Amino acid sequence: MFLHDVNPTVKALTIIGAVFLLAFVFDPVTPLLYIVWTVFVTFVFGTFKKRYYVYYFIPFTLFAFGMFWTTVVFSDTSTVTADSVSFLGMEFPTEDIWTAAALGLRVLAFATLSLLFLFTTNMVHFILSLIQQLKLPPKIAYGVLAGYRFLPMLKTEFQQIRAAHRIRGVNRPDSWKEKLLQYQRFAIPLLAGAIRKAERTAIAMESKGFTGAKTRTFYRPMKVQRKDWLFPVMMFGMLGITIAFSVYFGYFSWYDGQL
Amino acid sequence: MSQEVIRVEDLTLRYEERQKPVLSRLTFSIEEGENMLILGPSGSGKSSLTHCLNGLYPRELDGAMNGEVLVQGQRTDSYPAGEMAQNVGVVFQDPETQFCMITVEDEVAFGLENLNTPHASMVEKVDQALRQVGMEAYKTADISSLSGGQKQKVALACILAMEPEVLILDEPTANLDPVARKEFIQLLKRLKEELSFTLLVIEHKLEGWLDLLERVLIINEKGELAYDGPLHDHLKTYARDIHEMGIQLPYATRTALEQGWTPPYPLHIGDIPPVALPENRPVLSAGKALLEAEAVHWKSILRNINVTFHEGEWMAIVGENGSGKSSFSRILAGIQPPSKGSVAMHGRALKKWKESEMRKEVGYVFQNPEHQFITDTVYDEVAFSLQHAGMKEAEWTRIVEETLKFCRLDGLEDQHPFLLSQGQKRRLSVATMIVENQNMLFLDEPTFGQDEKSTSDLMSLLKEKHENGTTIVMITHDMELVDKYATRVLVMNEGELSFDGQPKELWARPDLGDHHLELPPREQWKRAVLKREEPAYVSS
Amino acid sequence: MNSWKLKEIVVMSVLSVVFAVVYLAFLPVGKILVGFFGPIGYDLIFGIWFIVSIIAAYIIRKPGAAFLSETIAAAVEVLLGNAVGPMLLVSGMIQGLGAESAFAMTRYKRYDLFTLMLAGVMAAVFSFVWGYFLSGYAALSTGYVVAMFIARIISGAIISGVAGKALSDALAKTGVLSSFALGKEQRRKQAA
Repeated sequence: MFLHDVNPTVKALTIIGAVFLLAFVFDPVTPLLYIVWTVFVTFVFGTFKKRYYVYYFIPFTLFAFGMFWTTVVFSDTSTVTADSVSFLGMEFPTEDIWTAAALGLRVLAFATLSLLFLFTTNMVHFILSLIQQLKLPPKIAYGVLAGYRFLPMLKTEFQQIRAAHRIRGVNRPDSWKEKLLQYQRFAIPLLAGAIRKAERTAIAMESKGFTGAKTRTFYRPMKVQRKDWLFPVMMFGMLGITIAFSVYFGYFSWYDGQL
Repeated sequence: MSQEVIRVEDLTLRYEERQKPVLSRLTFSIEEGENMLILGPSGSGKSSLTHCLNGLYPRELDGAMNGEVLVQGQRTDSYPAGEMAQNVGVVFQDPETQFCMITVEDEVAFGLENLNTPHASMVEKVDQALRQVGMEAYKTADISSLSGGQKQKVALACILAMEPEVLILDEPTANLDPVARKEFIQLLKRLKEELSFTLLVIEHKLEGWLDLLERVLIINEKGELAYDGPLHDHLKTYARDIHEMGIQLPYATRTALEQGWTPPYPLHIGDIPPVALPENRPVLSAGKALLEAEAVHWKSILRNINVTFHEGEWMAIVGENGSGKSSFSRILAGIQPPSKGSVAMHGRALKKWKESEMRKEVGYVFQNPEHQFITDTVYDEVAFSLQHAGMKEAEWTRIVEETLKFCRLDGLEDQHPFLLSQGQKRRLSVATMIVENQNMLFLDEPTFGQDEKSTSDLMSLLKEKHENGTTIVMITHDMELVDKYATRVLVMNEGELSFDGQPKELWARPDLGDHHLELPPREQWKRAVLKREEPAYVSS
Repeated sequence: MNSWKLKEIVVMSVLSVVFAVVYLAFLPVGKILVGFFGPIGYDLIFGIWFIVSIIAAYIIRKPGAAFLSETIAAAVEVLLGNAVGPMLLVSGMIQGLGAESAFAMTRYKRYDLFTLMLAGVMAAVFSFVWGYFLSGYAALSTGYVVAMFIARIISGAIISGVAGKALSDALAKTGVLSSFALGKEQRRKQAA
């Protein structure tokens, strides 16, 4: 599908650019429209298990709502505002609701953009593209890849340590001091194992001739082709249209440090 | 005409943190196409030697390296970084830590990329290397989804793709189960016939390698060269010396030593003369029911398991990786509740037991002992549960000292548990699990990745514990262990219990291979001898 | 970058991966605290989110360790799915720069408790300034903002500085750091 074929660096820069621009906008309408657009693009031009997207999306929605709610409750706006809205049996100034919605939706817009990237990008290809397009030093790039491989291993390791500690009878801390000690007891075998493995991995990489030199050939050459530019044109174009729309209907507002 | 590919001249290696040298005044040379074994007890600096041969040292060394290492007539430290990989390739021991990419093909390509291989020939070489090790079907698979044996084959493919002259295998099968181990050695034999390379194998277990390797270099624990010459002849005569270094001999040779026979010692099972070997028939003393599992299910991993463990039994749980052995034993030990069904100890359901009460009854030794360590010293580690049990100081110090002595850890009281040797770590985790006089002990792969000496130390310790009435349950791949110690054996297959009975009943089953199991060497011998004897018997 | 050994880079990135998971795990903790105390809730435990930069720098002791480790941790958080997405990457870089600045001030010579606490404080300062503009603390009353700032600084000094050091030292005792700067230093101390 189209989104999967876009050069990962171009895709990442587009997403970061869009997030950056959205960060300057502070009204609920612009991000809302852009969220709809981003989700639309993700679903039409991406192939992935839609169910997983929902799994990822739900916590983000909750997070955004949480943000909305705390902003409404903790906001520091002057009490003289005349307008107010009744919500869940409580009175809130309209301005606060408006600000809170802007904040919540902005976060959700960021989330949908990063989900677009996450669901349509192979991480190895992304890192390879960073080496080839953005000249990321191979030493760091492959070092990070090697570390990233540890993730699933760390999970099993964690579960094993938990079981192993349970049998030692250390799983019920009595005081918070015990609790801190328990964190450390957990961390030590986990980190010690991980460091030892990391060291071995580095040795294996070096014995395969890896030096971190910038000149190397690639099994997967990553190129930026003309069709890759369609994605930024599409995303920034729509952002422009969205902003124009909000401005036209008078919703638009710049961000200047509201909470 | 053969040519010298590696020459080591008066090599001495020292690490910054240690007084004594790890390798001391080594001199030897290796010729093109040789098949060489490097033997040495753990801690003899075998792996350090690998690093010297492939040029990692002195570049990455914190310490001093004296003498010369020449590869293809050129000093290793005069090669530009990275170029050594074209001459010397290494497959390491741990299948988990040799990779930095996600998929098989990317990993095989990684080495070629490092060598600046052009794209077109890289694609070709990746395919070819995977074909050579028989992993072409897994080209696009995630490495993490492979079994240990498959990972080692991929590691081998990575090296083969770079076409080095010398292939070093640093204990390549130490982390594999016996079946995967056999397969790997078989693969090497085939490759040796098809391709031309110089092979160097570093090992401390001899079983299986004898048909492949001709020359042996023995390094003693001081890091000195103890012997350099033909492997078979040396082994036939000096097996006892090699055994005493802590190296695991092939079954036939080991048996000959145990029987007190004189050299030349047999090397293969078929060479053992048809005398009566003592049967390992453990005494059956099944006592009262201790632990009862009834219709146990767990997630999609375990299905409907019913089994009763009795006091005084020595159980072995065997089966392929992923067949549910560990999950099952954790449920039995009350670490993990079953999703359906129940487990009862002394007739009382496990979930009704208080955690602290249960821990006094059942101990569990995990596969990786480090996971169980929670303090900074060996002493505290053993004392931990006693101190928390509210015992009088005089009493727990006595018990701790006794336990340390029993597990041969006395003298190491102040060591950090992580700094112990593999064998000591394992004994320490056993110590922590018997210190409250638990009457049931679970062990997950107790001898995995350990050398001969620590294996026999551990087993004699367990044997003593068993004779004093402890019920032992061990998960293992080692059929010799089962044959020698177990009074009863359970075979797990895809989450179900497919066999429950005495070891000798299991050996008689024709479907052993279907469970990824092999016969213990003693049984193999019996059959080999019987086969040979039968026709002779008929003809006479 | 050339002074870095590959094993140092791999170890740093593994530390970053581990702590990326820890960072994510502490977000809900922060949220609970926010529920009790308001926005200052995050500041109380903010130090946890700097800890990898202090640990990596303390273990490896090379210029860039604090910045890179924190950046990689943030990148991994984004990859694992974090609501703030790419913005978090920038936050991570800024926090990393903060910690890095403290080590740079000692010209990468001192790695004592004071420097580590200072690194935690600097990370807190940098991240607070960034947060001030990004999340609009300006809208909150001055007194509250000052309280948040102080809480974050203390948390940076204690959780990332003191606890980060304690954790690294405990790790060094296991011997796995023997070929890294921290392990070598401890060996020298023992020999002396």
